[in-house]
Order: sequence, then C-alpha cells, then structure tokens
Amino acid sequence: MTERSSPRPNRSAARPAIAGLVVACAAVLASARAARADVTATCDFFEILAKQGDKPALDGDLKVLEKKLKKPPFASSWNQFHLLSRSQKTLAKKKAEPIALKNGSATATLVEIVDTSKVRLTVTMADDKGKQVNNTTTIEAADYVIYVQPLAGNEGHLLSVSCR
Amino acid sequence: MTPPMNRPSDLEIMELADGESDDPDLVSQIEGDPESRAKARLIQQMGELVRGHLELSADAVHDAKFAAMWRRIDGQLVSPVSGLWSRISAWFDRYRSHIITGAVSAGAVAALALVLRPGVADPGQPGSTSTIMVRPVALRANPEIDALDTPGASSTVINLDDDDGHAAVIWVTPDDSNAEEL
Repeated sequence: MTERSSPRPNRSAARPAIAGLVVACAAVLASARAARADVTATCDFFEILAKQGDKPALDGDLKVLEKKLKKPPFASSWNQFHLLSRSQKTLAKKKAEPIALKNGSATATLVEIVDTSKVRLTVTMADDKGKQVNNTTTIEAADYVIYVQPLAGNEGHLLSVSCR
Repeated sequence: MTPPMNRPSDLEIMELADGESDDPDLVSQIEGDPESRAKARLIQQMGELVRGHLELSADAVHDAKFAAMWRRIDGQLVSPVSGLWSRISAWFDRYRSHIITGAVSAGAVAALALVLRPGVADPGQPGSTSTIMVRPVALRANPEIDALDTPGASSTVINLDDDDGHAAVIWVTPDDSNAEEL
C-alpha cells in the first residue's frame, strides 16, 4: 500500500487561539466603549413650597429631607414644607435635561462624574419673573444641593437635587 | 509399466498440495512414492506462483483505485480558492469550532466586564442603572461650588451636615426684594 502524507497544509495550531483572543479583546473593548458612552446619573428633583404656619407640617414625600429642613436656615424662616412636584431624571453627560416645575423652569446637565462617586452638575433655574440661578456644583452621590428663592408673602421656593 | 495399487491419484495429490485434504494415509502414500512426492512439490510450487501473480495484480489494482480516491479528496480539500474572500471563508469553515469557542468565551468575558465594571447599581435603588458609587456618609467630601451666577440677585452658600450626608444650600436673594415687598 502506498503511504500518503496529509493533503492538509501544516498550519500553526496557534492561529485559532489567536483568533479567539482577538475576538475576545474586541468584545471587551466594545463593552468598555459602551460603558464609557453610557455615563449617566440618576437624579431626584423635589420642588418644595415653604411657608410659615401655626403648626409644623412636612409632606410625607419629603421625609428624606426632614433632618435638613428642620435645621437653620430653613427652620428659622419656615415650618411648613409642601411638595409641589417631584421628578427623577437620568442625566446623560453634557446633555441639558429640562426639569418640569410648578413655579418657573429649570434644566440640569451632568458635566461629568468625578472619582466614580461624585457628580459635577450644572443647574439653571428661573422663577416666574425670569430671575435666574446658574450653578455648577460637585457633590457626592446621595448628597444634596438645595436652591432657595424667597417668594412674596414670606414664602420660599425650594428645589432639592440629589444624584446617584 | 502399471502404477502400484497404493499410488495416490493426481486428484488426491492436488487436494493434499492445496491443503484441501489432510488424510494421514494419503500423506504416507505420497511420502513413500517418489513420483507422487515430486508431483506434489511441483503442484505446490505452481500454486505459489499463481498466488504471487494474483497478489501482485491485486496490489496494482488497489494503487490505481487509491490514487484516484486521493485525487478526488485533494480536489475537495484544496479546492481552487482564488479570491481573498474565498480564502477567508475557507479559513473560517476550517476553524469554525475554534471560532465558536472563542466567541462564547468573548461573550462570557464581556458579560463579566459589564457586571464587574465600576459603579454598580446602588442596592438601595432596585433596577437603578446608576454609574456612580454611593460612599458612606463619613467618607463623603463636602459639596464644592464650582460656579455660581445669580444675575440681579445675591447668593449665600450654606453647608448642612447630618447623618444622611451633606447638603449645599444656595440661598438666592433678589437685589430688589425689599422694593418688591414694599
């Protein structure tokens, strides 16, 4: 019987492994890219009307802010806090997001995430008369920025922002 | 000259030479008769010649058939692949199982990377897609006001601290607030 050598060319056994590795690296890079493109922060916005009344009052939805609202400078000006509106927004990086308010208007922009635990946030807020607040603050996740605009009749218009 | 009575016939000698008979009486008769012995030896030699010829013929036939078979296999395995795309698809066909294994591994690695990337969802917010890590209150830094602009108003920044964390209070007072109240 005549002996035959294999007709298949003698290919390197490492080629398939290299191909698999390349595919794996591409997938990891793609996922990392997707993760980078997916920089977002979820922020809660509480619009609050503050008043001075006979008895202290705090809406149930504002319990998360109770400790802060019972301290000066709030406690020295008002003792009643009512929720006007509440919204939660997922902010994409460098994209201004309008925040619906009962009184005036506001936008919020996620500038960047700092050290994986802080957000740099730009908030613009205008009351009914067009008075504006333009602010950029860096806060830790779950901490608060509270904007206060006094209203006529010894009332106050508050906007609380917290991101995580 | 007449053959002796115990001399085996030619047929019996052929049967013995071909291994078709092993009768001991027949063997002893052939061994005892020089003529029969010579016939048996000649018949054996003739048989070997015929078998050798047939085996050589069989070998020649097998080689021809196998050569044709290998030519067909060669044609299928190294089919003419002229274009680059044909070569690439042939390569993928050849290593399909390796590529599938690599793709499955890559998927597993990508899934791990997505799950283990920094900024996992806050356990306090089911379904949250947050990319920010919430640190314990004791480790949190005070809020930093990077920019504050209040046209037509003055502002005061007050930091509040409690068990729930920090709060930066930005108190905006319109410049004309006294005039409005009047």
